[in-house]
Amino acid sequence: MKIFVLNCGSSSVKYKLYEMETETVLADGKVERIGQENAQITHQSMNHGEIEKTMPIYEHTVAISESLNLLVHPEVGVIDSLDEITGVGHRVLHGGEYFKESVLVSDKELALMDELRELGPLHMPANITGIRACQKIMPGTPQVAVFDTAFHSTMPKRAYLYAIPYDLYERYRVRKYGFHGTSHKYIAGRVGQLMGKDPAELKVISCHLGNGASIAAIDGGISVDTSMGFTPLEGLMMGTRSGDIDPAALDFIMEKENVPMSNINSMLNKHSGLYGIAGVSDMRDIEKGVLEGDKMCQIAFDMYEYRIRKYIGGYVAAMGGVDAIVFTAGIGENTPSLRSKLCESLSYLGITLDEERNQTRGQDIEISTPDSKVKVFIIPTDEEVVIARDTAAIIG
Amino acid sequence: MDIRKIAVLGAGRLGRGIAENAASKGYDVLLFSQGAGGQDALKRIEKSLDRKLAKWAITESEKKMILSRISHTLDLKELSKVDLVVEATIDHFYTKQELLRTADHLCRPDVVFIATSSTLQVSDLARGITRNELLVGLHFIPPVPEVPVAELVRGFSTSERAVEIAKKFAAQMGKEIIEINESPGLVNPRALISLINEAAYMLDEGIGDAAAIETIIKESWGMTQGPFEMADRLGLDLILNWMEQMQEEFGDRYAPCPLIRRYVRQKRLGVKTRLGFFPYTAEDTIALSQEQED
Repeated sequence: MKIFVLNCGSSSVKYKLYEMETETVLADGKVERIGQENAQITHQSMNHGEIEKTMPIYEHTVAISESLNLLVHPEVGVIDSLDEITGVGHRVLHGGEYFKESVLVSDKELALMDELRELGPLHMPANITGIRACQKIMPGTPQVAVFDTAFHSTMPKRAYLYAIPYDLYERYRVRKYGFHGTSHKYIAGRVGQLMGKDPAELKVISCHLGNGASIAAIDGGISVDTSMGFTPLEGLMMGTRSGDIDPAALDFIMEKENVPMSNINSMLNKHSGLYGIAGVSDMRDIEKGVLEGDKMCQIAFDMYEYRIRKYIGGYVAAMGGVDAIVFTAGIGENTPSLRSKLCESLSYLGITLDEERNQTRGQDIEISTPDSKVKVFIIPTDEEVVIARDTAAIIG
Repeated sequence: MDIRKIAVLGAGRLGRGIAENAASKGYDVLLFSQGAGGQDALKRIEKSLDRKLAKWAITESEKKMILSRISHTLDLKELSKVDLVVEATIDHFYTKQELLRTADHLCRPDVVFIATSSTLQVSDLARGITRNELLVGLHFIPPVPEVPVAELVRGFSTSERAVEIAKKFAAQMGKEIIEINESPGLVNPRALISLINEAAYMLDEGIGDAAAIETIIKESWGMTQGPFEMADRLGLDLILNWMEQMQEEFGDRYAPCPLIRRYVRQKRLGVKTRLGFFPYTAEDTIALSQEQED
């Protein structure tokens, strides 16, 4: 069975074609700068290496068609016909309260997704466009939507409600949804495999630390709390996002700086986090700055670590213990100094880190010592394989 | 037809605002201007973007992206490459009509033209061009990138297709489009003139001083500027000119308050002369001239 996985952004499309029997990636690629004369396609297939093309692409439908053409290309293609694709799995940002798991998409599901546009105005239109485009290009092929929020739909009310008038939840469903669900779901399953235990027996804290960052408390294989909220802005300090802040400070800033809420929104999402403190948003630059004695980089690093530590502590309390802490995504997988500092700060939990193993990159590895009471892992996340698996499972 | 590349004719405050707004929404923009003033139009747009960057409305990379989409030209022949033309020159009938005629010869025959004047009539401007069915009036209100509403009017011959294209363009610019009937002064400038005139009468009658009248109107209606500040920033000579046009069109209910005539005679024109309804510093004048017209 071959599954095509698609992640449509506002001006980009990323894709992978899987052979599901072995979960092998036959081809993958991306189309960037959609909407411009110089859109770029980067395609990599199992047998033919990388291809780059620059051409005008103004619509997602064209971007997806171009990607599919490369899959069946007489020279570089990996399949003979698009009919070989059994199903398409789409990454969709928001499932709201409608979608608690992945679904086969019909007009009814698309109509509900349309209603959720306002909860994800940057991503949802592109996600929906991607589904419609595939329906047009491959009319007989089942389309499955896999939601970033779905894994967190198991959170209890006490975790997902905000302590604001309940009417606002009833009227507009204002609540914590959480994101990176597909990644946290992958981690929950994979850590169980690595520990040789059923995920239902484990209490896991999954730290997805990329440019966007979130932590999930996973008890018995299901999400019971997560740091991102109604939008991805809540929670940890991130590359350019502030994470948690007292909302009253925003009103104060608006008045002092004489700016509207739209500027504040942009400030919190794009000018804050590591960038807001140190002027750089990439953790590698922060680490370099720390080594060179840059004070602001040091402050940013300390804040970043401290906030993760607070959330981990909070989630240990929420679950009444923890068996494993997992680091994943760009920063989580590639920043030994951060993991080292965190584990040192959390030594009261009985964590001891194997510093040599902590230097490993790009592979699943346990980095705590054998006698550590809480196991610590690096697990490179794989959201696409979860999307492919869900798609395969749904279309049978 | 998809609109990807637009031409903005005129690089004054309005033209630059439209260019910046359109580029920020993904359009490639050809900014056309005659004369030396237009040469630094791109620098002025960059300054405007820098002000937004300083207040976090955009990021450094968004600024670069917006600027990369705008090019300036003195050569009208480049109009052959565009999908839409927005005319944003000074409100002078013959200047506008001449420019529209030239553009009419140079553009592809299916290209829609947008006129931005609030005082000149679309039907009158359309008489001079062959594509009269493709001319639509779209009144953007400065500062264009910040004001979320635009007034749309059609002339006698404007086609439904042209209106649809103009609406789509304005919606992509992030504007709520409100269609109204062709009428001098449309809604926004006409209401503004009435407000300024009434405030000037109250001042002239001694009901309160300028600050008192300004504050009551501004604060009670949640406005960012009151009528006197708006008049001072626009220039009392321009306001008087609008009022006279409205008076000619609609009669004496638009007769300018004698106080405004007196101020204009005294060259008390507002921020640009450092005295209007309120006094201003030299810095205010410089700041305004940087913000506004070339």
